Amino acid sequence: MLQELHTAPIISHWLWFGIGSRNELPGKTGLSHWVEHMQFKGTAAQTGPEMDRAIARSGGYWNAFTSMDWTTYFETMPAGNLEQVMALEAGRMQASLFDPIEVERERTVILSEREGSENDPQNRLAEQVSLASYNSHPYRNEVIGSKEDLLSITREDLYGHYQDYYQPANALLVLAGDFDTKAALALIQDHFAGLESRPFNRPEPQPEPSLAGPVEVNLEGPGETTFLQIAYRCPAASDPDFYAFTILDSLLAGPSSLNMFGSGSVGQRTSRLYQALVENEMAISVYGGMNASFDPGTYNLNLTLHPSRSPQELLAALDGELANLTDSAIPEAEIARAVKQAQALFAYGSDNITNLAFWMGYASSFANYDWFLNYLGELSQVTPEQVQVIARRYLQAENRVVGLYRPYGGR
Amino acid sequence: MSTPAFSTRNLPGSDDILRAVLSNGPTLLARENPASPAVIFRGYIPGGSILVEPKQAGLATFYAGMLMAGTKRLAFKDLHDKIESLGASLSIAAGSLTTSFSGQCLREDLPTLLNLLREIFTEPAFPEKQFKRIKAQTLTILDLQSQDTGYMASQAFDTLLYGNHPFALPEMGFSQTVEAFSIPDLQALHQRMLGPKGMVIAVVGGIAPEAALSELEKTFGDWQNPDQAEMPSIDDVPMPAQTLREHLPLEEKAQTDLMIGTLAPETMGPDYHASTLGDNILGRFGMAGRLGEVVREQAGLAYGIYSSIGTGLGPSAWRVIAGVNPDNLEKAIDLILAELRRFVNEPVSASELEDSRAQIIGRLPLSVESNSGVAQTLLSIQRYGLSLDYLRELPGLLQAISPEDILHSAQRYWHPDALVITSSGRAI
Repeated sequence: MLQELHTAPIISHWLWFGIGSRNELPGKTGLSHWVEHMQFKGTAAQTGPEMDRAIARSGGYWNAFTSMDWTTYFETMPAGNLEQVMALEAGRMQASLFDPIEVERERTVILSEREGSENDPQNRLAEQVSLASYNSHPYRNEVIGSKEDLLSITREDLYGHYQDYYQPANALLVLAGDFDTKAALALIQDHFAGLESRPFNRPEPQPEPSLAGPVEVNLEGPGETTFLQIAYRCPAASDPDFYAFTILDSLLAGPSSLNMFGSGSVGQRTSRLYQALVENEMAISVYGGMNASFDPGTYNLNLTLHPSRSPQELLAALDGELANLTDSAIPEAEIARAVKQAQALFAYGSDNITNLAFWMGYASSFANYDWFLNYLGELSQVTPEQVQVIARRYLQAENRVVGLYRPYGGR
Repeated sequence: MSTPAFSTRNLPGSDDILRAVLSNGPTLLARENPASPAVIFRGYIPGGSILVEPKQAGLATFYAGMLMAGTKRLAFKDLHDKIESLGASLSIAAGSLTTSFSGQCLREDLPTLLNLLREIFTEPAFPEKQFKRIKAQTLTILDLQSQDTGYMASQAFDTLLYGNHPFALPEMGFSQTVEAFSIPDLQALHQRMLGPKGMVIAVVGGIAPEAALSELEKTFGDWQNPDQAEMPSIDDVPMPAQTLREHLPLEEKAQTDLMIGTLAPETMGPDYHASTLGDNILGRFGMAGRLGEVVREQAGLAYGIYSSIGTGLGPSAWRVIAGVNPDNLEKAIDLILAELRRFVNEPVSASELEDSRAQIIGRLPLSVESNSGVAQTLLSIQRYGLSLDYLRELPGLLQAISPEDILHSAQRYWHPDALVITSSGRAI
């Protein structure tokens, strides 16, 4: 996918692979993320530091992300560096070394990455809530993998995963910015056309469209603050319900920015849950959100309990506000406001070519680019009645996970 | 030699930045981005926590939060309804020496947002209900910070480096100071905290600079505050005379956060550009410079490690920051200290210098791609008294720096036997 734009002398090149934690089997969680790390360690033609130096010297930056559904590698560079980037990406698509010494070094680096996350009690709670939110679907696992699996995964596991899934048949190249399309296509031909595609058999999990519940997760730890995390099932991004759910989230917890890069946010202090829970001193904060995912995922509400309240009081107030949303008519103006906020967030992200390129690939990972182009139009079609139908369908107390983190000795 | 692969004429400069000073004090810097449907503004007013006594540590931050709690005409919900209905954002924060503000909106909504900012600045209500709520939120945040290894290591670092200097105090204060805040405290601070003197605002996006100036004159051109405080002088901080080490134990933490550092050169002062290049080589270039190569790539000890030069008016810190497994803490400190000794004992290589210079120069177009990036640059130009053509001149400034310049600047600031070393995590 190519989008030629000459608004700034910048290009952003993304290579997406259809492999993520969604496709990982028990005992091998974290494979995709670890492979992503190894992709910065060098090929037969170029060492890792040589790659890094070449990108940095050009004034560019590069990174990679592993998600539940995909793994992606990007470089944003001053225009004129396209061939350098394509040579690097084509090289590491099939010729990375996976040096056993580097594999062992990276094992401790990834364990350190995981330990950094575990320091935050909210992350520890989120991990347990996620495990309880699915019976067996791999979305229950952390993308980084379990500690046990990170200690037992071998170099052969990693290299096999790489050989299976890093190939043109499982890849999408996205390019946006200041380039000439004809010349770019010729470069793609030169660098990628000779790479071999092989048959591959990617594990495809059975979606779990509903959440069996209710489930309670309880954790204790140091500190004086109590957190609640509540997970409901939400629709896959390609499901027509996703648009109404997006409006529902905006009404409840404020608009979420879809932009991974670039600036811009809209506040949430007039959202229903902020008003009902924070303004009424039930909670210190409330945040809601979900991912645009391939299979049905979770809609998560993260709440910090007000010190003068009990978790039961907060949960009751939350349920009261959800009942209010489903039982009383939603004003049309509230929906129109949510749409305007989404339009503004889109506008804020539009001055960033990296963000645009990200969206071209991201939308393609679960639907297609039209999903992105039609997103605002689809949101503007959502009716108050649809939002209520969606709320009744998904936000049921008997189909949720309630996670509670209490301080030692707390109530 | 690293010649930019782009024309520096395309970077913001004197031919496309408008700088104007209103008769009552505010300075505007504006640059148009005709392709953008949005506008962003960022600015600051001299003041901040420096105007508050240590016994009221955190009051300036609390005050900034309370400014957004409602005005004499608009209750909390009405104020935020006006902002959020536009899909806009508006925020105010107190730093050590300034109160900063920022806003973003679609271009047609700029007048509305600027008018709201003026109303917030001049007619805050400090309502009781929001005062209670924000106090509870602040106390909870302080509790969370007390359990955050990164925050605790950073706070211990500031305490050891800055000593009795006001910069040692945490921006949010302490639970006992916050507990004592009252609405009259806020009202008294408000009398002298905000005013047009020294106010700077950068406006960037889909609005012509002249139109931005017109809007600023309409909203802030008649603002006066005869009680606006004069800025006190900022004391210097002495370099550490010996290594100071502190570990703050926190239970049940899988990772220990570590900081090693010293004082930084004056931002945009004589050593600044050489030190910036040196810092890039030490702990930023590519994945994380020399430190990343040694501590992460070769030893596998840390996921996150980097160095950072603090910027701003007054003293600031130059630090190495890492997160490591508690069992590897001493090993990581030893590796970092060895790299710091190398940094002050031998000049960087010509190729290292050339690489870092090329990176910093090459990244200039990316740094000003977004409206937000341009606005940040314009504020720095004003804050540090730089030329409007600073970005265009920067490649030349960096070209003039030699490995010896970097060595000498490193030697002036880094003394490997006189550092501040703090950490927080499992007990040691």
